Amino acid sequence: MNAEHLIRFLKGVGRKLALFVTIYLIASMALFMAIRAIPGDPIALRLKNPDPVRVAKERERLGLDKPVMTQYVLYGKSFWTGDWGRSLLSGRKVREDVAQFFPATLELSLAGLSLGIIIGVLTAVFAEGFRSQWLKRFSFFLGTLGLTVPIFWIGLLALIVGSLWLGWFPSGGRFDLSMVPPPNVTGSLLIDSLLAGQWEKFWAAVNHLVLPAICLSLYPAAQVCSVLQARLQDPKIEILKRALKARGFGPARIWFRHLLKVGSAPVVTVIGTSFGALLGGAVLTETVFSWPGIGRYMVAAVLDRDLYVVQNVLLLVILLVVGVVFITDFLAHVINPVATKSEEDQ
Amino acid sequence: MFSLFRRFVTVFLPLSLLLLGGSGCSPKELSSKRPETLIFARGSDAQKLDPADVDDGESVNTISQICEGLVRFKSGTLEIEPSLAESYEISENGLRYTFHLREGVRFHDGTALTAEAALFSFHRQMDESHPGHLPEANFQYWNYLYQEIKEVRAEGEMTVVFELSEPNSSLLYSLAIFPAFLVSPNALETYGEEFQRHPVGTGPYRFLNWTPNQAIVMEKNPDYWDVANAPKFERLVMKVVPENSVRLLELKSGHVHGIDGLQPAELAALESDPRFTVYQRPGMNVGYLTYNLQDPRFTSREVRLAIAMAIDRKGLAKIALDGTGRAADYPIPPGFLGEPKKGNPIPYDPERAREILAAHPDILAAPIKLQVMSQPRQYFPDPVKAASFIRSELEKVGLTVTIEAKDFKSHLNSLRNFEFELGLIGWMGDNGDTDNFLSIFFGSWATIKGAASNYAFYKNDEMDAYLLGARRETDMAKRQELYEKCLALWRRDLPIVPLVHSNNIVVTRSELTGFELQLIGDLRLGPVGWKAE
Repeated sequence: MNAEHLIRFLKGVGRKLALFVTIYLIASMALFMAIRAIPGDPIALRLKNPDPVRVAKERERLGLDKPVMTQYVLYGKSFWTGDWGRSLLSGRKVREDVAQFFPATLELSLAGLSLGIIIGVLTAVFAEGFRSQWLKRFSFFLGTLGLTVPIFWIGLLALIVGSLWLGWFPSGGRFDLSMVPPPNVTGSLLIDSLLAGQWEKFWAAVNHLVLPAICLSLYPAAQVCSVLQARLQDPKIEILKRALKARGFGPARIWFRHLLKVGSAPVVTVIGTSFGALLGGAVLTETVFSWPGIGRYMVAAVLDRDLYVVQNVLLLVILLVVGVVFITDFLAHVINPVATKSEEDQ
Repeated sequence: MFSLFRRFVTVFLPLSLLLLGGSGCSPKELSSKRPETLIFARGSDAQKLDPADVDDGESVNTISQICEGLVRFKSGTLEIEPSLAESYEISENGLRYTFHLREGVRFHDGTALTAEAALFSFHRQMDESHPGHLPEANFQYWNYLYQEIKEVRAEGEMTVVFELSEPNSSLLYSLAIFPAFLVSPNALETYGEEFQRHPVGTGPYRFLNWTPNQAIVMEKNPDYWDVANAPKFERLVMKVVPENSVRLLELKSGHVHGIDGLQPAELAALESDPRFTVYQRPGMNVGYLTYNLQDPRFTSREVRLAIAMAIDRKGLAKIALDGTGRAADYPIPPGFLGEPKKGNPIPYDPERAREILAAHPDILAAPIKLQVMSQPRQYFPDPVKAASFIRSELEKVGLTVTIEAKDFKSHLNSLRNFEFELGLIGWMGDNGDTDNFLSIFFGSWATIKGAASNYAFYKNDEMDAYLLGARRETDMAKRQELYEKCLALWRRDLPIVPLVHSNNIVVTRSELTGFELQLIGDLRLGPVGWKAE
């Protein structure tokens, strides 16, 4: 890497960082203002008999009587130091709740995303590689299913088939209620049960994960499949394919080592945006599958005006999604600088 | 267009057929053998498990398996019977309540139930400097239902005495509900701030663990004092299944044994199915329409009567509750103290309503805003549907009505601040006493802006006098008389229009025995067993 490249690289990183800080400021201010702008005092609304003296005392204890600017500064400080206060409703520490609910959502989202990528890539490659009408039809089916069918509908269907009729899978939940969960290390039941070497628990966790992960995988699978297919249909790829064939490479090597590499840059970008969509849509999957994740937690917090949960957890998730999109953008650039260069020069 | 249609045909149709075709297919059910664990599923999780600091139904339903009070409601009734107190006396003047504790009862952590231990659960709520008065807790019921308690003291080892500043006839009822449940003082000392996640009481099941938004697991209390109601299962699980149809599915597949929170429409198919038992009885609630008396258009009694007469309450009950409830004639649940023997309910008379309103051009001139919550409440499972019905009824008599739906908290906030014209809302009783309805609706002391529960802003000295009189009166016949007078005043002035009483509904597997719906609406799973094989 020469100096010019390095400078351009650092400039790119700097630009992204500046954008990140801007997004943080806008998002944190919006959340801070929104939760205070909705009519009704969250403290008074929580009480059955909100006599003003009591409400005032409670507001003072929580620091809500301080000037708004001070509160905003304190909010920023507490957010970055990880001191997120307690839920007004449950009295639990918000941080403990996040440690409890976030890994559940992450585990499910990552499982769905990985499964989606595998299904999407295989379908696209085989549909294009074998030029099979059946596979093309399947990819069309997958695209329609993933992009248009609402997750709560397909989820319900999966539960009826997989749990009620076949009896193969549990009808929701994250773990077997009759088992003691593995010792908590990472928050992911899969990893924790493996670390503890408890196979029975690992299978219980997998069993609970199958149906929701399949349902969640449809959207990224459809996205990956359509983007990759479009890319592979590019005439330039056709030329490359012929050239590789002429060198005597077998189809497996041509497709999975060469063409996939060329085609994967937009796929990585799609993964980034899919991740955001997965987190955003988590509440639906979590509701259908009784999954104790962050989506349900956040929606309940907004409806209940749970101040500290809304302020901190929503901001955390926003920043996380932005972070993931930036990282995947960066990865796409590393994989195929040409594809993203023109955009960066603008 | 064609392509869209094809997509529809290729994807939705086969899947829908699968869904339809499958309904005839026999589902895989777990065997009907007696399980070790009783599993009950509901739509959301408990918030806290400290009986002195909860107010949501899910928390109350959980804590009711773990903790108990000095007295309790006889199952399925509003009659008080002894519980942790073996007997009790109330002094002639109603100012002193004496409870004699049951011998040999222990909390789940082994702490013996003594007068000293019992005092703790009350002192921690009354006294802000008490170590059990946790800073995060609100103890919001204490100032609301127990404000007459001046002192709680022990007399000897096993006697607890309550001294009141003035008589309150509903206090005994209030002592039977969750804020007055006894908790182990030692456990509070051990867990401190975290006590609400480790409740320790004397109930039929003891707390084991809690995975938030997933399940609360309890186990049998082998030493439960009430032998007749001893727990029949090794474990009891309160599971969270947020989606109604999935909860039903879990019941059908036998993964759970009982569920609540179903929409009325989902019940029909269950009632005829021998695998399930549907329990249903009128709940202790009332859904009502409140006027804002500060709005000049509603200051006329005649107008209020006309609007009330324009609404077909029976039709509303049918439409809004799908038959799982009934039309309300009074602002108190049926059978409550004060219900007049010879009633004079508001008639349904749209003709008359139209005539009256014709004489009031101001109310016909501009549209009236009917404000409603968007989320379901027990008394209105589909509030917007109920509001639409009311709108169509009122439009039939010549009024113009617009509906404004808000999320429940925002709705409540506007009502408490009197920022509305017509409001659709309801009330769920706390302790089974009439005072807990009428004082809430009509007491002039309940009109503090921001904290109001008398949303109509109804102020009447006569009403206040009857309400306070009935609260202080200990003679039941006299209380009945006073409440009848309150209801007569309500009928004359109509600050609110009671509309519906909805049913409490629980569905269980038909193998379950011993389940009974409670009037207060709490869940009692201690006596529940599995039918003999």
